[in-house]
Amino acid sequence: MEQSVDIRELNERIKAESSFVDLLTIEMNKVIVGQKHLVEGLLIGLLSDGHILLEGVPGLAKTLAINTLATVVDADFSRIQFTPDLLPADLLGTMIYSQKNEEFVMKKGPIFTNFVLADEINRAPAKVQSALLEAMQERQVTIGDTTHKLEEPFLVMATQNPIEQEGTYPLPEAQVDRFMLKIVISYPQKEEEQMIIRHNLAQSFPKASSILKPDDIIRARKVVKDVYMDEKIEKYIVDIVFATRFPAKYSLEKYEEMISYGCSPRASISLSMAAKAYAFIKRRGYVIPEDVRAVCHDVLRHRIGLSYEAEANNITSIDVINDILNTVEVP
Amino acid sequence: MNRITLVKNIKQWSKQLGFVALFTLAIGVSAKAQEVSATATLDSTLIFIGGQIDLKLELSQPGDLQVNFPHFTDTITKNIEIIEKGGVDSLRMDNNRLVLSQLYRITSFDSGLHYIPPIEFEIIQNEVRNIAASNALSLMVVNPFQVVNPEDGVTDIKGPQDAPFKIVEILRYIYLYGGILLGLGLIVWLILYLRKNRTEGGLSFSKPKPTEPPHIIALRELDKIKESKLWEHDKVKEFYTEVSNTIRNYIEHRYEQPALEQTSIEIFDSLKSVDMDKTSMEQLTQILELADLVKFAKFQPLPDENGLTLMNSYFFVNQTKVEEIKTLEEEKEEFLAKESEAEEGDSDEK
Repeated sequence: MEQSVDIRELNERIKAESSFVDLLTIEMNKVIVGQKHLVEGLLIGLLSDGHILLEGVPGLAKTLAINTLATVVDADFSRIQFTPDLLPADLLGTMIYSQKNEEFVMKKGPIFTNFVLADEINRAPAKVQSALLEAMQERQVTIGDTTHKLEEPFLVMATQNPIEQEGTYPLPEAQVDRFMLKIVISYPQKEEEQMIIRHNLAQSFPKASSILKPDDIIRARKVVKDVYMDEKIEKYIVDIVFATRFPAKYSLEKYEEMISYGCSPRASISLSMAAKAYAFIKRRGYVIPEDVRAVCHDVLRHRIGLSYEAEANNITSIDVINDILNTVEVP
Repeated sequence: MNRITLVKNIKQWSKQLGFVALFTLAIGVSAKAQEVSATATLDSTLIFIGGQIDLKLELSQPGDLQVNFPHFTDTITKNIEIIEKGGVDSLRMDNNRLVLSQLYRITSFDSGLHYIPPIEFEIIQNEVRNIAASNALSLMVVNPFQVVNPEDGVTDIKGPQDAPFKIVEILRYIYLYGGILLGLGLIVWLILYLRKNRTEGGLSFSKPKPTEPPHIIALRELDKIKESKLWEHDKVKEFYTEVSNTIRNYIEHRYEQPALEQTSIEIFDSLKSVDMDKTSMEQLTQILELADLVKFAKFQPLPDENGLTLMNSYFFVNQTKVEEIKTLEEEKEEFLAKESEAEEGDSDEK
């Protein structure tokens, strides 16, 4: 009986705490037309303290989305264009000699902010990618002898262009795994595109208002962690992740030769956290299988390694995930 | 007799004695040599040009005698070439004699009658060399080809000669490749057999298709749940899990929807395309939504709600089941079967 009271209390608390979600979505939608999935993904990443890798052709409002999010949350925002000649110091900062004070002083890099947009991350060499990904993981940066904590909330949204692969440095699998979500953005619908034209040709471009403080996000993150996840849901997540590793055990023998490596335990953690955040966005105090399925594609798509055989058969990681979801029993 | 004459005589006697000793030794060696017999034989005395035959050298000698076989390198005679040279084979006989033999594979590329002179074996005893010779041989080499007459003019190159096909020639390949194919076939069969067994053996999650109608299975399962009275034993979560699984299983086989792999909302969506009355849909919604709350949100329903869920489950299955329509023949067979059973019962009572 006590458990039932807890969950009811939690539900109430979450309903109260998640009230900003609707406001935030409205403000985002003022500026971003369509791309509901992108906005939802940004919210999930923001609430579950995970970073996002965005893949989409240029001109799909990736930069605008994160800029708007920073405005709505009243947080700092940096955009770093990754280029082949970028150095880790350009990103993290460095020690420079001050002639006035006759001493070395630290010059912080653009990573010292709340929201970072790492534009075209695959255009910079591996050392810069490593510097960013290390900062993402550790939430701190060491310059000289001093370690500096990064600001909270800290959200990195990196973009990748699926075309123009020449002269790029693709992210290694181990580093891609550090992104909680990989969101693939597609073109807007006809009506949405029409609306985009109207917005851009109007006298004044719509602007989002600041409705939240970074502290609100930090508090919301704590509540998200409290969202109840039943043992059955945990087992469901484990089954999905295991099916990527041992497909034959889940009647998916056809993928046995096509998956070169399955998802890591980090995928299970990310899937659980993202499912909790999704439940929070839906203003629920508990996770249901729908939540897991809703975030499953974005969490797992970049964590499944496909073999050449799969590529030859035009099998994508999304096909694998779809088949897994259609095969693993829902609790 | 003076001293000089005596010395001369002694020298003369010793010379004569040496001659006698040497003569005796020569007689002995000659006797031994006569105990050695050498023979040379050919497989055939007639071959075609390039044909191959064996030349066998055989030597019978006393066991303690050292006899050297002749050492041929490439040819036996000018016209006879050696293709292969065998080792010396020995056979000890009962009478302390030794029979040694050696084989030479020979050929000739010159037609005509070739003479093979006696082949000599060297006998060495007490540093004295003697010779044992074999018999002489002759070999006729025949040219089977037509003799080209230059006066006939230039003619075209003759094509390859047809050789008759013999199964023996490819027999070993048949054995080899046949064996490999058989082995591969066995491996493939074994893999398929193991896979089939693994799938059927419960290692995978594939579901066997039930033989009974889905509503029969569902109602039987609901009866079991009712009898077990799980919620009365404080196992509410298990009760709702069982009820939800039974209903999902029923939908899966009744409507052929993958309900076990779908969430509740997905099930409602997929059943929209099915002709289902509103009441049944409401009952299903009540069952699955309440089950989700209990399963995933620690919800504690009232006892009345448990009863209602079970009742709705029975109603849902009964309202949506497909009645089996029997043909007249099937009904007749069933009736006759019942009749015969009743008659058997009566006879047993009597």
